[in-house]
Amino acid sequence: MPMTTPDPAAPLPEATPDATVAAERRLHPMSWLFVLVQQLKQFVLPLVVLLVFGRGDRNELWPLIGVAVLVVLSLWQYFTYRYGVAGDRLVIRSGLFERSLRVIPFARIHNVALQQSALHRVFGVAEVRLESAGGSKPEAQMRVLKLDDALALEALVRHRGAAAAIANEPEAETLLALGFGDVVRLGLVSNRGLVVVAAAFAAIVQISQRAVVNTFQSVGKWLFGFAGEHHFGLAQYAVSALAMLLFAVLVLRGFSILLALLQYHGFRLSEIGRRLTVERGLLARWRTSASRRRIQAWTLREGTLHRLLKRRSLEVDTAVAEEQQQQRALRELAPIATPAACDALIERLLPRAGWSNLAWQALPASNWWRLVLPTIPVVIAVTIAATWRVGAWGLLVLAWLPWAAFVAHRRAQRMAYAANAEVIAVREGWWMRHWRLAELDKLQALQLTRSPLDRRCGTATLHLDTAGAGALSPQLSVRFLPVDEAQALYASLSRTLARRPLRW
Amino acid sequence: MADHDEAAAAAAPPADWHALPDRARLPSMLTPMLPFALPGMVGGFVLAGVFGLWFAPPVLALLGAGVGAWMGLKHYRSTFWRLDEDGLAVRRGRLWQRETRVPATRVQHLDLKRGPLQRQRHLATLVVHTAGTRHSAVTVPHLDADDAERLRDLLARQIDADDDA
Repeated sequence: MPMTTPDPAAPLPEATPDATVAAERRLHPMSWLFVLVQQLKQFVLPLVVLLVFGRGDRNELWPLIGVAVLVVLSLWQYFTYRYGVAGDRLVIRSGLFERSLRVIPFARIHNVALQQSALHRVFGVAEVRLESAGGSKPEAQMRVLKLDDALALEALVRHRGAAAAIANEPEAETLLALGFGDVVRLGLVSNRGLVVVAAAFAAIVQISQRAVVNTFQSVGKWLFGFAGEHHFGLAQYAVSALAMLLFAVLVLRGFSILLALLQYHGFRLSEIGRRLTVERGLLARWRTSASRRRIQAWTLREGTLHRLLKRRSLEVDTAVAEEQQQQRALRELAPIATPAACDALIERLLPRAGWSNLAWQALPASNWWRLVLPTIPVVIAVTIAATWRVGAWGLLVLAWLPWAAFVAHRRAQRMAYAANAEVIAVREGWWMRHWRLAELDKLQALQLTRSPLDRRCGTATLHLDTAGAGALSPQLSVRFLPVDEAQALYASLSRTLARRPLRW
Repeated sequence: MADHDEAAAAAAPPADWHALPDRARLPSMLTPMLPFALPGMVGGFVLAGVFGLWFAPPVLALLGAGVGAWMGLKHYRSTFWRLDEDGLAVRRGRLWQRETRVPATRVQHLDLKRGPLQRQRHLATLVVHTAGTRHSAVTVPHLDADDAERLRDLLARQIDADDDA
């Protein structure tokens, strides 16, 4: 069920012209349940340990009492939480003994994230997080609000607290909606379940070391028939290992598709005025929105599986720091979409960039050998280890080198960059391709580096820094650029950046 | 493919790049000594345990300290900075050259750090913070304290000029 905006006739928090807050609202009456669930999630492991090992021993109950006290304290805190709107600011009061008053101007809120797990949907509530730039914790975290109240708060943020403007706001325009087939493709392409499956495998191996060998043998028996005194040689092991690998891959893909369906079913990217909103989820729903101009950098990816399915994926960086499990920031604009759809999206959101007509300047392909260099010591080390274990067959590992050289050559031919008055873009990769794009207004510091190898080859690398670049995003850096071009680009970018103010 | 600016790289940079003051040489050498001496000492303990060389820890610690001092000296000799109308530029390294530029409009805030040895010698470390991820803090170590304050004031004045609140 998609989250829809409430009709304008629904009651909204009053916005008075002076600084006092007219109507303070409280959290939903059921918020105690969700806070309890959250606390239990944090303490689930000690609780389980206690239950399993502490049975019958009265002294072990003390930690449990401590946990109960913490739970009561957090419930107490949420009973004293109130929020309201004062003009163009959100005012939040919390606490009884230690009272805290937090004032957040609507204009400073970068991101609004609504989250509904299955339990939330049962009660029709949502958890709201308001983010500003930077910081590791959200500015305001409301657990939980009624869904209509949460959407009204999001609308208020959109209009900087002016309730009257909400009635006249334009319709939300859908930029991208993923159907069932697209979500299945997304599951096929990504390795969503890899961590879980790997952890399960590791757990099985820990519990019973023989289990793995027994499975090999049983698979082998099933494949080759019950051949009595058959001795299990290398060939049989290899084939059963291959069969098991295939099965594991199928299980992994199936799991990945299931996870993608759970997380991305009903994905909708829409635009209301200047804000982009992403909604997704099957049992649990997520809704995140951010202003278009908060996007710092763009990454367009095309892996091998993407190319097979004729799709790409578009991600953006915003300046909000993201925690491990929580997806607070607007990150994926198009988890999977056709290349044309991705290009159209970039053209629409960056109209002045000229994305379709960028003049890509190829970097000299004669530097291909520098791309192979890092793999050579690894291959040699693996060869040595393999020969030591398996004898002369280990030398087969060296056959990887010509393949790596070929791939490096193709990569070097595709490497290019493009710079115009609005954006700078870099494309790299052959097997796994990516394009990295950033507006000049969003660039922060510049760095020109020359390693000893660069100096020998007459090249330099130009690194461009943007805000909020995650560890998994490729770097926006132009490698193997001839020195003169690099210094000219560096000088012109410094001049441009010094003249154009930072548009946050 | 070899280019001819290797000779130029060994020569001094253009005159408008400022070098670090002479009295910054000792603090630059002292700072990396401990981070290098500790692994040396640990390695020495490992050797002492495995091979029974009782003199290994102090010798390796001293060796580590020596390597650290040498690296500090190299960094000191190859650090240059420049402030022009585009912003602050810092150049480090001779083997591995790095030139970092923070445009004047991209400075978020500035830190001046003064350790006890730096205070005694009238030095300071300037840290320029940006909103970036990799270069969120650009450091110019062991500057003359007056230079550092002048840089800080000039760059901070730039922030006031572009008010985008």
